[in-house]
Amino acid sequence: MACEKIQDLLSPYLDGELTREEKAAVEAHLSCCRECAELLSLLRVATESLAAFPEVEPAPVLKGKLYSIPDRKKKFRIGLDFLVKPALQPVLAAATVLLIIFSFYMFGPYKKDIDKTVNRQIHRGYSQVERLYAKAGSVTDNLGAYANDIFVSLKKINPLGKNEE
Amino acid sequence: MLVDMYSKKVFNMAYQFCGSYQEAEDLTQDIFLKLYRQLDKYDFGKNFTAWLLTLVKNYLIDNYRRTKWEKRQREDFDERLHSAPAAGGPETGMLEADNKKILWEGMNRLSPDIRMAIILKEIQGKKYEEVAEIMGLPVGTVKSRINRGRLQLAKILHDKKEKTHGL
Repeated sequence: MACEKIQDLLSPYLDGELTREEKAAVEAHLSCCRECAELLSLLRVATESLAAFPEVEPAPVLKGKLYSIPDRKKKFRIGLDFLVKPALQPVLAAATVLLIIFSFYMFGPYKKDIDKTVNRQIHRGYSQVERLYAKAGSVTDNLGAYANDIFVSLKKINPLGKNEE
Repeated sequence: MLVDMYSKKVFNMAYQFCGSYQEAEDLTQDIFLKLYRQLDKYDFGKNFTAWLLTLVKNYLIDNYRRTKWEKRQREDFDERLHSAPAAGGPETGMLEADNKKILWEGMNRLSPDIRMAIILKEIQGKKYEEVAEIMGLPVGTVKSRINRGRLQLAKILHDKKEKTHGL
């Protein structure tokens, strides 16, 4: 087997996770390859040295700071508790969306164009309303004229069949 | 209670990962702050230690990516990391201390994921399955990361020793 393949097997070899055949192949290679044998010995040194790193004791001051974290958290929450109430969440979400849209409008590059379009739309709407109002006036006039005509026609009708003269 | 039971574990993991005592203290505080915030998300059916160590691992790796620690030096290897004197006498003790120093500095050259796997498996002595649970990865992936990490560290040891002998 080539050195590269053997080197990939060295770690499982150390862990004792190779099959009998793989183990035999690795050992056969190690007996004739100095480089791989040296790598195995360095791997052993590395794993043994890492395992010998002792646990370090944290400073007592740190423990004191850690104990005080829940109190600090409580103090912080007293003033802002109302913000995390579930009932307020939809309102806050809507406010956030509005704020984002508003900031896009305020600080975006298209503020002038938006202003112009809105202005144009408002004016168009206003003139449409005016036109509608004028139309409504003429319809009212026409209705008045029709009412008069109907009134006159009704007067002319003689229900008893008498001659007007 | 949480502080008594887990502060040493969290602090050591942070220290082994970042290599600076001061930084590890700051990180431990940040991690405990996050732990208190996330406690209500803990599923009581799960192993608490594994859940906590996953939280620690995520925080350390995210923070590493944010702050780019790889550009910083690890703190000097000091007496805090020396274990009991070696049985083979002062010469063996010095050799062991040298190896530890090289490995301690070499840890900074490992990618954050490989470094974390090496810390959990080699320094903290966890089983592959435990490392896989903490890292949220399949056991095969963890084994391959640890294999790569071990080879990298062995090569670092080799290069350093060659340099020393060459001088």
